Amino acid sequence: MNLKRLTPIAIGAAFAMALGLGTTAAQAQKKISILTWNIPYFEEGMNQWKEMFKKSHPDVTIEWLDKKGTEFSTFYQTQVVAGTAPDIIDVQGGLWLEYASQGGLLDLTPYLKRDKAFTDGLYPEVVNGWVFEGKNYGVPFYISKTLLFYNKLMLKEAGLTNPPATFDQLMDYAAKMTKGEKSGFMTLNFDWLYWPIFAENGIDLLTPDLKKAAFNTPKAVALVEKLAKATKDGVINKISWTGRWVEPNGAFAAGTIGMLNAHAPAYLWFKSKGPWVNEDTVGAADFPGRWSTPNSHAFLISKGTKHPEEAWEFVKMISSGDGAYVFGTGSNNLTGDKAANSRLMKYFAEKIPVVVPVLETQLKHLDKLTGNWPIAKDAQVKEAFYPELQAALLGDKSAKEALDEAEKKVNRVLTRR
Amino acid sequence: MAFAIRRKRTRELLLIWFFLAPSLLIFLLYRIIPLLWNGVLSFEFWSPYKPAEFAGLYHYEEMLLYDDVFWQAFWNTAIFMASAPIGILIALLVAILVDTPIRGRNVYRTIVFMSYPVMTVAVGIIWQWLYNEKVGLFNYVLVSLGIVEQGIPFLETASLALPAVIVASIWQVLGFYMIILLTGLQNIQPSLYEAAAIDGANAWMRFRRITLPLLRPSIFLCFVIGIINSFTNFDLIYVMTDGGPSHATELLVTYIYRVAFKLAQFDYAAALTIVNFLFFVFLAWLANRLAGGEVGAVETG
Amino acid sequence: MNRFPKWVIHLGLGIICAAMMVPFYWVLKTSLTGENIFAYPPSLVPENPHLFYYVDVWYSIPFFRYLVNSVIVSIIVVVANVVLNAMAGFALTREFMGKGAIIMLFLSCMMIPFQVTIIPAYLITRDIGLLNTHLGMALPLCSTIVCIFVFKASFDAIPKSLIDAARIDGVPDWMIIFRIMVPLSQSAIATNIILAFIWSWNNFLWPLVIIRDNDMQTLPLGLARFLTVVEDSTGALYAFCIMVLVPGLVIFLLAQKQFIAGLTSGAAKG
Repeated sequence: MNLKRLTPIAIGAAFAMALGLGTTAAQAQKKISILTWNIPYFEEGMNQWKEMFKKSHPDVTIEWLDKKGTEFSTFYQTQVVAGTAPDIIDVQGGLWLEYASQGGLLDLTPYLKRDKAFTDGLYPEVVNGWVFEGKNYGVPFYISKTLLFYNKLMLKEAGLTNPPATFDQLMDYAAKMTKGEKSGFMTLNFDWLYWPIFAENGIDLLTPDLKKAAFNTPKAVALVEKLAKATKDGVINKISWTGRWVEPNGAFAAGTIGMLNAHAPAYLWFKSKGPWVNEDTVGAADFPGRWSTPNSHAFLISKGTKHPEEAWEFVKMISSGDGAYVFGTGSNNLTGDKAANSRLMKYFAEKIPVVVPVLETQLKHLDKLTGNWPIAKDAQVKEAFYPELQAALLGDKSAKEALDEAEKKVNRVLTRR
Repeated sequence: MAFAIRRKRTRELLLIWFFLAPSLLIFLLYRIIPLLWNGVLSFEFWSPYKPAEFAGLYHYEEMLLYDDVFWQAFWNTAIFMASAPIGILIALLVAILVDTPIRGRNVYRTIVFMSYPVMTVAVGIIWQWLYNEKVGLFNYVLVSLGIVEQGIPFLETASLALPAVIVASIWQVLGFYMIILLTGLQNIQPSLYEAAAIDGANAWMRFRRITLPLLRPSIFLCFVIGIINSFTNFDLIYVMTDGGPSHATELLVTYIYRVAFKLAQFDYAAALTIVNFLFFVFLAWLANRLAGGEVGAVETG
Repeated sequence: MNRFPKWVIHLGLGIICAAMMVPFYWVLKTSLTGENIFAYPPSLVPENPHLFYYVDVWYSIPFFRYLVNSVIVSIIVVVANVVLNAMAGFALTREFMGKGAIIMLFLSCMMIPFQVTIIPAYLITRDIGLLNTHLGMALPLCSTIVCIFVFKASFDAIPKSLIDAARIDGVPDWMIIFRIMVPLSQSAIATNIILAFIWSWNNFLWPLVIIRDNDMQTLPLGLARFLTVVEDSTGALYAFCIMVLVPGLVIFLLAQKQFIAGLTSGAAKG
């Protein structure tokens, strides 16, 4: 019986050896692992990074791991429990706040202070997005924030010329563009990306001290009622409130969405999906009121790293100068480094001019970023808040009832252990 | 003589346990120990970064007294499981039909089975589109036929989302049920049908008297699969609705996963796991009792 | 049941199969056209189908290497399943102290979702030194409870008289298993092969967690390459799904040949 069990194992092992698979021999060198967030296409650039780093640090090897967003935290947290956390992680959203509050991340403030020349090259507003309780945990990797894409053909069809400048105009235009299978407005909504709608209407999620819910105001009730009505009438496509992203981008590419509130990377995605998309057919504008929610990525370093100095050096290299430029050209994104971005804008103007107007919005109005509250319980607050709001927006609850309930739940999360 | 019998019995017992041992070992490593880990965790405050602290019944209290989402997920799971018989009935019909000697039954079997192994991510997106309010196929057909005037937002309506997800999940698991029932049908000796035919039993009587009782172990197995289907179908639900809108399609398993890995509250997730486990074991025990005490205890002559 | 006219059976199966095919048809169609499924009105017939996306998949990820890994893991899982489940299934057909408890234990083990076992299972696999290995990927699936019960039901259905006769003739137990029970349980074996293969072949989260080495990745892990935000890879995504599906269907087609009793019993009923 045992033989029977062993045979397949032996076959497997033989196979593995014959094909030269299996794990490589233990390294005598220092090893740094970097876990990135869904950039599997970046292999060539990653190899360039490795080469560049080898020149200054021949004793360090870089291990690259990449996971997509849905499994990222599952993988990372399992590694943390096992004590083998990747040294450097690339994150988006509010996930990192929980890690930081638990003491799982390295405080980078001293490093940023020490390497002043490097730090001065970054956008301070973006760097500040990674501060929790006075300590800085992240170095900007690539930056993106929301903007308003609009379908010029649909706009024209509705007898309009310019994108909306105020929120009321936005709703008005959206209504005019809606008919049949066509919806006037849609928004992405993961990671609080829809929050500019609320910010523009003067609503904040929490009080300035971040201790209590602040969103339950008569103004908010009126806004939610308005949004719910527009949603019911099909003016706002219902998928806006589901949190999915493939569908909104696909729908915009199909030409059935008038205006889309989305982050910059969505542009090239729906452009590759809709051959009709170009400068003449799709416009990029600031969201009314110029509010936007950042969806930037940053590099963070795990507390458990054995080589913090080397990890920091690597992060510095890849997030500035040539390292950042390599990523910008490899992914068509802007980075957190000012100098690299001016080079990148020249590169884009030459290679992919259509993307330039979109990317230009990304560097403006950095003072009007919203949708980020540096609280440890970001994810829990969202869990408490959003389903209630969703119920109101989709017409399953009255706005007042939903916001009351959401307020109660959010406050409970904030005061709980 | 008695000694010889006892020795034979001992040898048989040794053989039985020897045969069970490898499977038991695997389940010990990958099921039982992880369950115990969750059990311990559920009475602690714990995170990957901090030493554990005793929490007593804190998490259970939170869950049972304060957590509306838990209760919603609990009832959704119950509804989800209660829908299993629909799938099993369809699968039973299919299994019986493809078990007849008709031309092309291999093709039929393959088509019905095909939905089970296809990767969920891609199919989940297709299902989202099928249900899409404005451009989806279902609504296109409904509107074209004039049955409804405007598209129905299946996945965006709290009362429709769960049934919509259940339909997709029945679609996915049907092939699995079919193959289990088909195996069960193969276990029935042809001679039994011959004997019954000689006795003048008609097709319905043969089905009632022979097929159904002898298929009982397989049907029971399908019910057990139906119970655990909420987690084998995890990916599909996760891709289609992510538990929304407003937790309308939240099942215990999607909620546990979210709490553990998205909210990083492993201790609370552990408590949810234990309650989920006890609930399911109770159902399995009940199903086992209803199925006649022991799985597959049906004797054939 | 075969009193039904054939056309009724064909009609019934035709309707069910047509319904089952709907989502699948769009997976296939999109893989051939890369079209935007959210276009309106829905297109029913593929326009200009081509195989570009299938070639694209092959070159976008180290397809062959992933395939080899998947094959190795699946062979281990399938062989282990057939052998271990048959053993356990056989044991459960005998009477012994604690049998009820074992059955209840098995049923309970089914009730633990994989998702909640990830962290402890990872730690255990690390402690037995199987991280980053084929065996490590295979081990949790090497015995599956559903399949144990499938075997048990099959063994239970074998006429006792047959086994008793062999016993009286002095045939030892293990010979009875291989000479009588296994040959009479071919459909259970086929089911085991099919299900174990599919489970192992499609396994996603577990390899994702325990494999760090790119050379050890299995096919489903290639999925991420087709779900990035920067470019539309819908066509390749669906082509990839079909390419991953095909081996499972081949195994199904080959193994289901064992489901022949229906034919013979039907013929006997004539």
